Amino acid sequence: MSQFFNYAVPGVPFGCVFALMSVGLVLTYKASGVFNLAFGAQAFVSALAYVSLVQDGWPRWAATVIAVAVIGPIVGIVLDRLLFRRIRTASPLVKLVPSLGLLVALPQVALIIAGSTPTIPPPAIVGDAQHVYLHLGSVPLSGLELSITVSTIVVVAVLVALFRFTPVGLEMRAVVESPRMTELAGINAGRISAFAWILSSMMAALAGVLLSPLYSQLDPQNFTVLLVWGVAGAVIGRFASLPLALLGGLGLGVAQQVVAGYLPAGVIANGLRPSLPFVVLLVFLPLARQRQIDDPLSGCDPPSSAVERGITGYRSATTVAASEGSVHTVGVWHQRLDALPGGRMTGILTRRPTATFSWVVAVVAVASALTWVPPDWLLTMNQGVAFAVIFLSLTLLTGMSGQISLCQATFAGLGGFMAGQLANHFGLPVVLGMVAGGLLAGALGVLVAVPTLRLAGLPLALATLAFALLADNILFPNSWIGNGASGVTVPRPSAGPVSFAAAKPFFVLSLGVLAVAAGIVKLVGDGTMGRYLSAVRGSELAANSVGIDVYRLRILVFALSAALAGVGGALFGSLEGSLSANDFGYQISAVLLVVVAIVGLGSITGAVVAGVVYTTLQVAVTSLPTRFAGLVAVLFGLATLSYTRHPEGFLDVLSGRVQSVVAERRARRLPGGPTGSGRRPSPPGDEATRDTDPVAEGAG
Amino acid sequence: MTAPALLVATGITKQFGGILALDHVSLDVAAGEAVGVVGPNGAGKTTLFNCLFGLDDPDEGSVVFDGQSIDRMPVWKRSRLGIGRTFQRMELFEGMTVADHLLVAEQAANGTVRIWRDLLHRGGPTPAELHHVEEVLDLLGLVELAGRPVDTLDLGHGRLVELGRAMMGKPRLLMLDEPSSGLDAEDTTRLARILGETRRSTGVAVVLVEHDLALVEATVDRLYVLDFGKVLASGGVAEVLADPEVRRAYLGSTA
Ligand SMILES: Nc1ncnc2c1ncn2[C@@H]1O[C@H](COP(=O)(O)OP(=O)(O)O)[C@@H](O)[C@H]1O
Ligand SMILES: [Mg+2]
Repeated sequence: MSQFFNYAVPGVPFGCVFALMSVGLVLTYKASGVFNLAFGAQAFVSALAYVSLVQDGWPRWAATVIAVAVIGPIVGIVLDRLLFRRIRTASPLVKLVPSLGLLVALPQVALIIAGSTPTIPPPAIVGDAQHVYLHLGSVPLSGLELSITVSTIVVVAVLVALFRFTPVGLEMRAVVESPRMTELAGINAGRISAFAWILSSMMAALAGVLLSPLYSQLDPQNFTVLLVWGVAGAVIGRFASLPLALLGGLGLGVAQQVVAGYLPAGVIANGLRPSLPFVVLLVFLPLARQRQIDDPLSGCDPPSSAVERGITGYRSATTVAASEGSVHTVGVWHQRLDALPGGRMTGILTRRPTATFSWVVAVVAVASALTWVPPDWLLTMNQGVAFAVIFLSLTLLTGMSGQISLCQATFAGLGGFMAGQLANHFGLPVVLGMVAGGLLAGALGVLVAVPTLRLAGLPLALATLAFALLADNILFPNSWIGNGASGVTVPRPSAGPVSFAAAKPFFVLSLGVLAVAAGIVKLVGDGTMGRYLSAVRGSELAANSVGIDVYRLRILVFALSAALAGVGGALFGSLEGSLSANDFGYQISAVLLVVVAIVGLGSITGAVVAGVVYTTLQVAVTSLPTRFAGLVAVLFGLATLSYTRHPEGFLDVLSGRVQSVVAERRARRLPGGPTGSGRRPSPPGDEATRDTDPVAEGAG
Repeated sequence: MTAPALLVATGITKQFGGILALDHVSLDVAAGEAVGVVGPNGAGKTTLFNCLFGLDDPDEGSVVFDGQSIDRMPVWKRSRLGIGRTFQRMELFEGMTVADHLLVAEQAANGTVRIWRDLLHRGGPTPAELHHVEEVLDLLGLVELAGRPVDTLDLGHGRLVELGRAMMGKPRLLMLDEPSSGLDAEDTTRLARILGETRRSTGVAVVLVEHDLALVEATVDRLYVLDFGKVLASGGVAEVLADPEVRRAYLGSTA
């Protein structure tokens, strides 16, 4: 028992910091409907401000006040005003992508503003961090631990008083209980939401400041990890209960120390501790879903239209044609429809100008790659092709099926490692290794999918995030899988007499893989499965009730998508010659999702362009001077902000513009003639629709 | 009733927090029969549908369909077994065309996800499936609108699409939750006519939740009255509607 005590007590300060995050997350989630993953970044920003100010000679108390009570809330309010307020009722994807983008971009922006990373080790807010002030039993308590615990107790006391005794606190509690009821009661939800943002941002800021001395240097990554623990605490609080979230965070802090204490040091303890959030999520997420139904008015939800929900997704050839008002010529079905009076074709489906354009660009790019392009450019282009395959896995999963995965990079990594290991240990040809890697990633996809896919939307995203973290800590360091920091070599393939070792043949091979992947995605998207998926996207409830086994369908798509990602990862590994855990860490998954969502999840072209954009960004980050590398992050952040206006992706926006110009020209050339598109009118006052013209899908 | 019982629900009870939404409700429907369920808002009609259909898990009670207990069956299985339903709050597949709504339902009713066939580019609908889609389009008078995305339809046609979708895969029982809500008189008349034709041509049994008594009287053979989660009365339409207690609880409150 005393042993337990000795392990548990040092866990309390961690628990306090986690608890602050959890409470803040629940507070904003309930008050504004957004699960703010940018919280980790907000914590970092305040920690950075705090340490920088102290380094500049400010007293620590003043630096704390500025970082927590000024900078924290300002960041929160700005984000709320600029961004989160606009997406209250949007789809889970549209809500998630901006906060993910900010999670990545915000720390970089803060570093640019701060000018430089502080060099001093972050100090505790009061006292000497390392000095032992008193003993609890036999457990020494340092200044750091005491300051964390005491400030958390103070904050919680203030919160309780606020919620108990002030009108705004009572109103906020009401909002947290049942947002709908509160609105009916005439409480101004906007004001409450703003207040909740201030409060929760202060908590994130405090958590960041308190946590910073635990590390010798400020690193945004540590704060993302903090976020994941906070998320786990919020899930224990079932996204709804502040006290439970508080206890959850606290309990996790203690639990992780106890786990680390009892188990032997080494891989298991080091690995098990970081995977605790995943375990917690798996256990508690299903409960969290139950809780959401308990809102007495949840049965009376007003229907939100697809437009409000921002449903944007993959459009099959039929949907594209339908939204253009013409009935398509693909397959028997539509030929028969054409025979029906109402299905008269409004003109032969003309090849969309943007489709032709994409083909021309693609052909020119490939021809150049094989002739005059210098080797380092060719390498970049080839990386783009490999990543396009990985992005295709998201087109399938998120674009078609509407599921959000934050572990696609993990699957890519697993595929790559598998291909390399099989080649190195068993002499399996790499091409077969790629297939095997894809299959393994697919199998693992099923393992992840079975417990998590009953949850859609946000819970699934969180579960996959936790899985990615688990893989980073347990799977990737394993010598049979990722082999830790030294990584795994992945040879270039050869098939009989034909070797793909040289750059150009390998590029051709990569194009072949991409073509196959694109073909699979297109066949699935335009086939029966695509029709099912589009039904599920439209209404999961109705899809189930016409006899679609939505759960099984999701598992299937998740597995297929994981397999595609695995093949892409193997291709990338073979291109680079070796892979290490860093290539496909969990934060990469977030970046990948954000990039392809911004470019466009609605088409195969979107995935290809995303591949190009992503690798170009990488080249920019690594080859530009550090100052500009930060600018890339700023750009990334801005693109994320604009995403909420155009959830269909910028490709759609672009090709929509091009098409309306072309259509206008045509109409002018044929006076009195039909414009050929019975496009439905866009609903008034909403830009966030998929109502722009469809993007070309030529690349499939 | 001479026809064999198609659906038998016994003692269905469902509580939401402090609200007893259904209190030992029993209901049976014979093959080919049309049964109405009426009652004021909040009486538990939709909850009853959800319990029969598997969307809600009843706290007590059992449901037997075609002699087989379906208590533990997920929604999609009940659907494939031959129960079609519509929703009070329309649930269309936004972005899909009218024809695709019917086609998806027809294919799903016939079974599996055909991923291998998709990958071999053989995943298209079979002639029989297409034929059935055309039949239903014809029956509902939706042929002209077959290629239209449902988002562009008015409410009346939207409800017809939902009805058509529920009719795919030749169900033996149709559960319709307030199909006329939001429709004008003309649309309602058309709906009544289509319902009549459907029943005649397919012999499908119907459970109709409806506020429009004219539509109820034109469609159903028998009536259940639900109030505060309890069955207040049941039996022939005319006799139930004449029941003084029913008049007080239901008709009085909506008049
Ligand atoms: N998911 C739910 N959660 C909580 N209460 C619910 C839920 N669904 C229905 N209710 C409640 O159950 C009662 C019956 O509702 P419902 O079946 O929709 O009535 P009806 O369809 O007859 O108008 C109502 O009081 C409603 O508020
Ligand atoms: Mg109802």
